Amino acid sequence: MLNHILRRLLQAVLVLALVALLIFLMLRVVPGNPIATMMGEHVDPAVIERMTSELGLDQPITVQFFRYILDAMKGDFGTSYSMGKPVDGLIRTAFPNTLILALCAALFAWVMGIICGTVSAVRKNSVLDRLFMGFSLLGVSVPVFMAAMMLQYVFAYHLHWLDISGVKNWKSFILPAVALGWNSAGSISRLVRSTLLEILQADYIDTARAKGRGQAGVLIFHAMRNAMLPVVTMMALQLSSLLSGAVITESIFAINGIGRLAVQAIEGRDIPLLQGTALFSTALVILGNLAADLLYGVLDPRIRKES
Amino acid sequence: MHNILEVRHLSAGFSARKSEVKAVDDVSLLVPEGKIVGIVGESGCGKSMTARAVMGLIRYPGRVISGSVLLDGRELVGMPEKEKRALRGSKMSMIFQEPMTSLNPVMKVGRQVEEAIRIHEKVSREEAAHRSVEILTSVGVPEAEKRCLCYPHQLSGGLRQRVMIAMAMILDPRLLIADEPTTALDVTVEAQILQLMRTLSSGGTGILLISHDLGVIAQVCDHVYVMYAGRIVESAETAELFDRPLHPYTRGLLNSVRSLRGGGDVLDTIPGVVPNLMRMPAGCGFSPRCLECREECVRDVPRLVDEGDGHLIRCFLYEGEAAE
Ligand SMILES: Nc1ncnc2c1ncn2[C@@H]1O[C@H](COP(=O)(O)OP(=O)(O)OP(=O)(O)O)[C@@H](O)[C@H]1O
Ligand SMILES: [Mg+2]
Repeated sequence: MLNHILRRLLQAVLVLALVALLIFLMLRVVPGNPIATMMGEHVDPAVIERMTSELGLDQPITVQFFRYILDAMKGDFGTSYSMGKPVDGLIRTAFPNTLILALCAALFAWVMGIICGTVSAVRKNSVLDRLFMGFSLLGVSVPVFMAAMMLQYVFAYHLHWLDISGVKNWKSFILPAVALGWNSAGSISRLVRSTLLEILQADYIDTARAKGRGQAGVLIFHAMRNAMLPVVTMMALQLSSLLSGAVITESIFAINGIGRLAVQAIEGRDIPLLQGTALFSTALVILGNLAADLLYGVLDPRIRKES
Repeated sequence: MHNILEVRHLSAGFSARKSEVKAVDDVSLLVPEGKIVGIVGESGCGKSMTARAVMGLIRYPGRVISGSVLLDGRELVGMPEKEKRALRGSKMSMIFQEPMTSLNPVMKVGRQVEEAIRIHEKVSREEAAHRSVEILTSVGVPEAEKRCLCYPHQLSGGLRQRVMIAMAMILDPRLLIADEPTTALDVTVEAQILQLMRTLSSGGTGILLISHDLGVIAQVCDHVYVMYAGRIVESAETAELFDRPLHPYTRGLLNSVRSLRGGGDVLDTIPGVVPNLMRMPAGCGFSPRCLECREECVRDVPRLVDEGDGHLIRCFLYEGEAAE
């Protein structure tokens, strides 16, 4: 087990390093001097040159890369051109908003997904099943921006129950969380339903019934635990992608999170900021995958044994 | 002798496109106290379906169509699910065909063995755990205490089947149904498991042993029912059946076993295959494969008649004789 964890950790670090390199290269191959673009057209070339050398952009690309990696390891992602502040500070202020939004969305998605999926599987082909699966299908097929605007229209504009956008209190997170989590809720409930339906056909379910377990007992003690294996994996992956910044949701609801920061970075051709947010998000995704992998190992004794 | 299980004219099947197919057709059988009763027949002839019908565990869309199942004199067909649940695992239990997939892969073996106790009795976890170690030891699981902490995939096939048996026997049921308990095991392990069955039955449990292997049946059963295409075609004491097989199907089965044992060049098997449920012949189910098939065999279903000493046979070759 320990061996397995160490190996996965090493893999995660390697992937992260590779991604860091890719992000770095992609931002360098974009044509045009970023300083010139940033400062506009009518600026003294001497100024541009001074800025370029100040930021180390005139150095050979390998030197730039290693400086960036070394700084990043110290938590220093440079200074944002467009905001004039250290990138790590900007990320640190933005992250709590992203975190709250992601957790709320995940909570909504998982509770709804598991309940709806289970009810649908147990009452297959019932009215409830059709209703829940309809909502799930909507969730996975309607784009986030549309879901967001629909929710804003109904609950904020029409019913005045909630604010349209901005962060004032906990209630401000309800609409964004639902808009963002709906998709995940849909995937989870569909996965729970199909997994449960398959598991309810398994031989060990018959064994449990032959022992005298009723429907509820079979579900709780035997089917659910097995059905959770793929579901937990999906949950961990969802959480990491939710955490890495919901670009669209944050923009629509004016929430100052990582996603919105990345959008601002792109708009301002702000290489250090973009690099920072991209690297941060990637690290979260990789961490999430790692967590999913290890969790699966904890839940499934067959995998635990192998390693 | 007291009959623990009494199945009378049981039919079970599936509703398919308005028509109904019978996988089990008018099956009657008895399992007396302390005896091992076998059902033998080819794959798909309805053995498992019969067993599930007794347990009340037929999978959707199958169902019991008619007939009666008496467990210690109590009618199970039509009994409310809640009452039936109270009997499953305590008064009657079943071992399923596949020991590899019949245990929950994410639950420790000990928990699974003691589960029946915890469902049916109000006892502490320690007490239940203690009893599960005891029963595992008694069915020949070495180092039972340690095995209780294992997951099913960590055990061999033979051990898993022993765990299944322990699980089924932990509340000392009156009736044990074993559906091909040795099919997945090698010969030595098979012999051990069969020996275990014999020990259990000498304790008073009635065992219904299902198999497609006449060798297994010959080793342990007191009485045998031969099943073909959903019907009982012959039934007799084991010795009687092997000495004096009457039905052409039974004779064919015995010949194929003997030609295997004798090492002959030509395997003496029954030509053809079991008919599909949807295209069941109108008369005797075996008629399309029967070398002694007559006109009436294709037209009518023969009755199950007594050929003397309780040797029952469903075949026109004998029906006439019996009537005379
Ligand atoms: N869902 C279903 N719909 C229609 N027919 C079915 C269905 N499930 C099983 N059957 C049929 O019921 C019949 C009886 O099956 P059963 O499992 O009792 O056979 P078996 O004698 O136990 O065979 P085996 O030795 O392979 O276990 C088979 O012919 C099978 O094709
Ligand atoms: Mg079977």
